Amino acid sequence: MARELGELNREGFARYKADVKNEGKPFFPRAILHDTIMSLVVVCVTVGLAAIWYYGSSNKGLTGGVLGPLYAPPADPGTTSFVPRPDWYFYFLFYLLRIFKWPETVFIATVGIPTICLILLLGLPFYDRRRERRPSRRPVAMIAAVLTVLSMAVLTWKGATANEALGSELVLLVPKWAHQQGFEGKELPTKGATLFAQSGCLNCHTYLGQGAGQLGAPNLSAIGATNDAAFFLQYIQNPAAFGNKVMGSYSYLGQPNLHALAAFLAASKGGK
Amino acid sequence: MATTVPRRRKVKPRRQKLVEQAVLAPLDWVDERTAFVKGTKWFLFRHVPRDVSWLQTLGSATLTAFIVQALTGAILAMYYQPSAAIDPQTGKPVAYSSIQSITNDVTLGWLVRGMHRWGASVFIILLFLHMGRVFLFGAYKYPRELTWITGVLLLATGMLMGFTGYLLPWDQTAYWATAVGINLNGTAPFLGPWLAQFLAGGPEIGNYTLAKFYAIHMLLLPGAIFALIGVHIYLVTRLGVTSPPWSKEEAGRDRPPKVPTGRRAGLVRPSGDGDGARPGLVRSGGSGGAS
Repeated sequence: MARELGELNREGFARYKADVKNEGKPFFPRAILHDTIMSLVVVCVTVGLAAIWYYGSSNKGLTGGVLGPLYAPPADPGTTSFVPRPDWYFYFLFYLLRIFKWPETVFIATVGIPTICLILLLGLPFYDRRRERRPSRRPVAMIAAVLTVLSMAVLTWKGATANEALGSELVLLVPKWAHQQGFEGKELPTKGATLFAQSGCLNCHTYLGQGAGQLGAPNLSAIGATNDAAFFLQYIQNPAAFGNKVMGSYSYLGQPNLHALAAFLAASKGGK
Repeated sequence: MATTVPRRRKVKPRRQKLVEQAVLAPLDWVDERTAFVKGTKWFLFRHVPRDVSWLQTLGSATLTAFIVQALTGAILAMYYQPSAAIDPQTGKPVAYSSIQSITNDVTLGWLVRGMHRWGASVFIILLFLHMGRVFLFGAYKYPRELTWITGVLLLATGMLMGFTGYLLPWDQTAYWATAVGINLNGTAPFLGPWLAQFLAGGPEIGNYTLAKFYAIHMLLLPGAIFALIGVHIYLVTRLGVTSPPWSKEEAGRDRPPKVPTGRRAGLVRPSGDGDGARPGLVRSGGSGGAS
């Protein structure tokens, strides 16, 4: 019993080689036949998906069938109301971002958890060193696997169904914001608040409990307590000049709109 | 007729010999230097456990999905133009227009693009299923640890392929998803900001980003994947595939400690008298598969 694991491993593998040699079946043509059938299925499924995608679409490919459109409109760095959405196998990461959305923790979702997962996967043969291979005798491994699959499935599902609040819905909140922040009846901040809701600011920022809180964008509920409208006017036209490399410039909105936005931000003192 | 048949028979062997020589001489010449016949035999004419299951075709299915990606990708690269500049004819970005023309104008272009687009998802799904199968079978254990590691690296490379390929159509979905993706890289400690800047290639996502992603997607990562697949398949061939762990005739199964009759233990299947102590492990009876 006291024999070393390495010795047992080598003996087991020697037995394996002898068994395969004596009682195994030839890889060619018997096993490779199954591989070939399976490969044909893979190619057929791929062709089928391509056909369903193409023939299901209409309106020159911009309106999709079951599998979605052939393409979205061309890339336009100027728009801000577009909801970023990765391919489905990154949905879990996409949703992790919403869980760890505060600026100090966002790196846990983006780098921390994926790195830990990768290390755990790479190291698997080195921390699971028992020779036992039967699933019924590997309860820890099986429970861990089930939990991993479940959490990936839940995160992917949540990421797939997550809805960013749409500008048209957020506009309805403007009167409430005005009341809470005390700029009711003031024209410029109200116009700014409407723009704020419509221009996709809340795809990254949060404001009075709304918004995505992505990419470490701060909560703007009380941003007005820190600076005045003149500062915000400069900032939103060129965030990079203030050391913000993540946020883009919003100067394309035009001076009157920018003034309104700046007034709205300055009026946001945290609310009651 | 009766006279021609034997004459043909006389001529055929000589002609056949000449043809055989003509065909075989260059093959012999190559084989003498590469031993590819030995290699092919080593790969094809080996034995696998007789109880391998359909689940164990997932690996070759993943390989097939990758080959589909490589072939369709090579065709797409002949028509695709990685440029974010505005095409004066269409008024749309060049990359976007080239994808439109592949889909609408190039013969069967829609099929090639569709296969590449959806083949990517098929590839990723199969990677995960294949990994799940290996985990279930405990097939990553001694001596197949390195096979597992190359497999995990293939999974990571495959995901990176998905990330870099997603930008290339240069539509709104692609652009904004990549904008978020690059910013995510930027949140990493130490290397993050540098990596984000390298990927974007400029103050904002534009032409340089597109060219960079294209080069990574169709030169760098495919090279890495080809190399990793080569190592992976070499290791699988060298170390063999495992039996399903629940199989009664599992290759390499434990044998009863020592058969006291003096017969050589180990290679010989137990006759049934020695396995009383561990009934679940071995199946007595059966004439053995030595055929």
